[in-house]
Amino acid sequence: MTSEVALENVWIRFGDFVAARDINITIRAGEFFSFLGPSGCGKTTLLRAVSGFLEPSEGRVLIGGADMAGIGPNKRPTALIFQNLALFPLMSVWENITFALEVRGVGAARRRKRADELLELIALPGQGDKTVGELSGGQRQRVAIARALAAEPEVLLLDEPLSALDLKLRQRMRTELRDIQRRVGITFIYITHDQGEALTMSDNIAVMREGVIEQVGDGNTLYDRPNTAFVASFVGENNLFRGTVGAAERGAVTVETAAGALRARPATGAALAAGDDAFVFIRPESLRFDDAMEMENRIGAHIQRREFEGSFWQVFLDADGAEQPLKLSMVNDDAAAARRPGQRVTLGFAAELAVATRAGPLAAG
Amino acid sequence: MTPLRHLREFHRRNGAGLSLFLIGATGFWILFMIVLPQLFMADFSFRANVPPPKWGTPEHYYTLEHYRYMIYGGGGEGSFNVIDLRVFFKTIGAAMLVTLFDAALCYPIAWHLAQAARGGWARLMVLALVVPFWVNEILRAFAFHILFGASGVLNSALMAAGVLDEPYDFVRENIALYAGLGYAFILLMIFPIYNAMESLDKNQVEAARDLGASRWRIHRRVVMPHAKPGITSGCTMVFMLTAGALAAPQILGGPGSLWFTQIIYQAFNQAGNWARGSAYAIILLVSCIVLVLALMKAFKVRLGEIAR
Amino acid sequence: MTALLQAAAARAPAARIGMALFVALFFAWLFGPLVLMGITAFNSSAFPRVSPWECFSVEWFEALAGDKALMEGLRNSVVIGLGVVALAVPTGLAGALMLMQVGERARPWYYSVVISPILIPGVVLGISTLVFWDRIGAMFGAGHKTFFYDGVFLTVIGQATFISAYCMLVFISRLQRFNPALHEAALDLGATQLQAFRKVLLPFLKPAIASAAVLAFLASFENYNTTVFTIASESTLTTVLAGKVRYGINPSVSALAVVIAAVTLLFAAVLEVARRRRQRAAAESEKIARGLLRSRTRKKPLLLEPALLMIVTVFVAGAGTAWFAGSIGLEECKAAVLEEKRRDAEERVRTFQQRQMFRRAAPQAN
Repeated sequence: MTSEVALENVWIRFGDFVAARDINITIRAGEFFSFLGPSGCGKTTLLRAVSGFLEPSEGRVLIGGADMAGIGPNKRPTALIFQNLALFPLMSVWENITFALEVRGVGAARRRKRADELLELIALPGQGDKTVGELSGGQRQRVAIARALAAEPEVLLLDEPLSALDLKLRQRMRTELRDIQRRVGITFIYITHDQGEALTMSDNIAVMREGVIEQVGDGNTLYDRPNTAFVASFVGENNLFRGTVGAAERGAVTVETAAGALRARPATGAALAAGDDAFVFIRPESLRFDDAMEMENRIGAHIQRREFEGSFWQVFLDADGAEQPLKLSMVNDDAAAARRPGQRVTLGFAAELAVATRAGPLAAG
Repeated sequence: MTPLRHLREFHRRNGAGLSLFLIGATGFWILFMIVLPQLFMADFSFRANVPPPKWGTPEHYYTLEHYRYMIYGGGGEGSFNVIDLRVFFKTIGAAMLVTLFDAALCYPIAWHLAQAARGGWARLMVLALVVPFWVNEILRAFAFHILFGASGVLNSALMAAGVLDEPYDFVRENIALYAGLGYAFILLMIFPIYNAMESLDKNQVEAARDLGASRWRIHRRVVMPHAKPGITSGCTMVFMLTAGALAAPQILGGPGSLWFTQIIYQAFNQAGNWARGSAYAIILLVSCIVLVLALMKAFKVRLGEIAR
Repeated sequence: MTALLQAAAARAPAARIGMALFVALFFAWLFGPLVLMGITAFNSSAFPRVSPWECFSVEWFEALAGDKALMEGLRNSVVIGLGVVALAVPTGLAGALMLMQVGERARPWYYSVVISPILIPGVVLGISTLVFWDRIGAMFGAGHKTFFYDGVFLTVIGQATFISAYCMLVFISRLQRFNPALHEAALDLGATQLQAFRKVLLPFLKPAIASAAVLAFLASFENYNTTVFTIASESTLTTVLAGKVRYGINPSVSALAVVIAAVTLLFAAVLEVARRRRQRAAAESEKIARGLLRSRTRKKPLLLEPALLMIVTVFVAGAGTAWFAGSIGLEECKAAVLEEKRRDAEERVRTFQQRQMFRRAAPQAN
């Protein structure tokens, strides 16, 4: 069984500090949903409010339509996978996995059987009698998932569960997690500060900053149509031009920047009007050298240096009037090889690929 | 947050059974074992010394006579209770000296244990430090009695060696007592210092040495500041225990010299004067606490760092 | 010790040798008096001494077993020790768990109060316990036969006052290594608060509970300062001992020390062996995790550990040898010593008489 999770006007305060500010969100049943944001943005706090370890100061948490107020974590149809996994070190693997059944009073024989099934599911057959200390990092990870699944939750909550693993393992576990989610078919709520994890696994993502949800959408939408400066700068890489709105029409705005007047598509809900401070974002892969003359936006620049990344090149450019270097990525072909540091070039980009947002806080780094 | 909200949060976190256990056990401990007994004793010390059947009757009135007695004795105004006062100050002073002696003795040992000793050798040393203190306090004092007694080991040895012609009375001169007291609580000096030193990064010492600091300066500027909470903690424990020791003075004390606890003991068990005994106990408690707080203030160590 | 000195000498500086000497002297001071006392237990001399050595004897151990007052005290000590364990371990546990939960502002106050019994002189604790329960007993109009005036009860309460604080410290240091997420994980998986406590926290605390219990028992067993006030008309091993030591010394007290030392050494050995086993198991687990090892080796029961078996054998053999050597030829030896003493005394009498005679004769010579 799987359930929808809804947060209605949720505020969470610790003394004077506001950890979550008027959160309204509905997570559909059976969805893989991620909260993405830098550390301290309040995503873990929200997760704890869903799992029942803390009560919101205001607002309601609904799981499967039922108000969870006053219901402790042990009574909610959720299971949480902790950041440090929190496997019980003094229990064997199979006892860990079937702990949820043990506290419900299920007999040892039936638990053992269920443990073997789950060990099969996580591809660790026959490892039930090991102690937790005898497992490798990836194995522990999978045992933690099995333990949570054994509770037969309607919603599985995951608090940065991959952060302790090394890069290779992390990438493999992404696929595996997504796979498990499809097979068990329950709602997954995933917390991460790693956009790669969020983009590869999730059906929908909520980007959070300082206790506020900035935007909700699938990976494509967040990448192509960011609503705020923060989302544009946090998700993926972006080149930024600061300026003031010169003219705003339907579907396009002109922003006066140090690099000249740039035309861009206004972000949804930005409601830009002439005279507003605005940012223009353009992705590195949307910048062009070759057919620059046909583009609506053109900028003169010098090639500063370039980095070879295998299938493509990263080219860094000093644009006329820009305060920081621009980044351009291009496919590794003969044309790319011809571009040398020091060359004078003209860059161009299409207005519909650029986004103009209201000026606002950016992601760090 | 209101107390009620606190209580509800507490209940939410622990459930009914556990809440009851936690509050019940700590409540009983704090109220009926720590706070109320001390208050009752304080109350008792301010009351007249009357036989038990009259306790609680009007004859059991409040008075300062026991505290006055400690200072002025039974004689008229102007004369002082020389005996009790002298014992009191001798006890405090001797306890301080014993504490200093122990600190000086244990500092190098703790240092050796924390920084020089390694692996199995260090474990063995720790065990060797602990084992003697599993032997009863009284037996330890008894061992010193055997060592220092008139026909004891030390006298026999010294006489056999021709150093002494006749036994030297270590007991009468209180040497046995001070040695015994200095021995009794060594463990409680070593381990706090050791714990503090163990957390010192060895690289700091190496760095200081590398920068040309002398051995003394390394200790003065690097090790001692780091070990300060441990040293203070050890000194506090040893001082309190030494000043409050009863067994060692009873066994090793010379016939003419008393420890303050022995006077309290006599008031209770020989004179049957509970009120005066309580008053003297309060005096001992308060003066020890004042001294220890002064020590902690002087060394800028908080109570939370003691007894770790 | 010599190996240490040599090792230190090899690295030359005088300071190292000085340090090694200091450590050696320190341990000599630590063990010397106890060893000497132990030796006196085997000397047949009626006064505990090493020299003059009379006969190797175990009679003082026999005297120990026959000492009614001591055995009575021992029984009370054990009862009180168990009582203190039963009271102080849960109290200390509650105190430690409470410390984790009291608010930031109240914490220093709370800690000061519960840690204070460690710093309050034992004498004061004994007196306050005595006075308090006496007054409470009077309030309820309880007779002198009730527990308010019972030495064993008062002693358990009085000792538990500060021993609970010891136990609390043991629990605090263990709890600091507890991952609170484990408790939350248990709750999250549907456990009640009590189940989470019983199945997750309590097993984690098990070693601490064991060491707190041992610590509590030992502290109770050896306590004198508090006990001497609260014990009333009863007695414990320490009060009996103190009486013996103060009013008439004989080597049976040394014999008791030997017994206690032997028991504690044996106990220490068991603990050390158990610790090594745990270490070995942990190392094995890590090897398995890294794929260097397939499975655990089967565990032997603790008592069958070769190291432990050896230690026990040495103890038993030592005791047996002592027993044998101490009873064989003891009578002859004692007779010989007595004979020697008699001759000695006679000799002295003779010299005395001679001197007297000489002195008496001298004036005549004048």
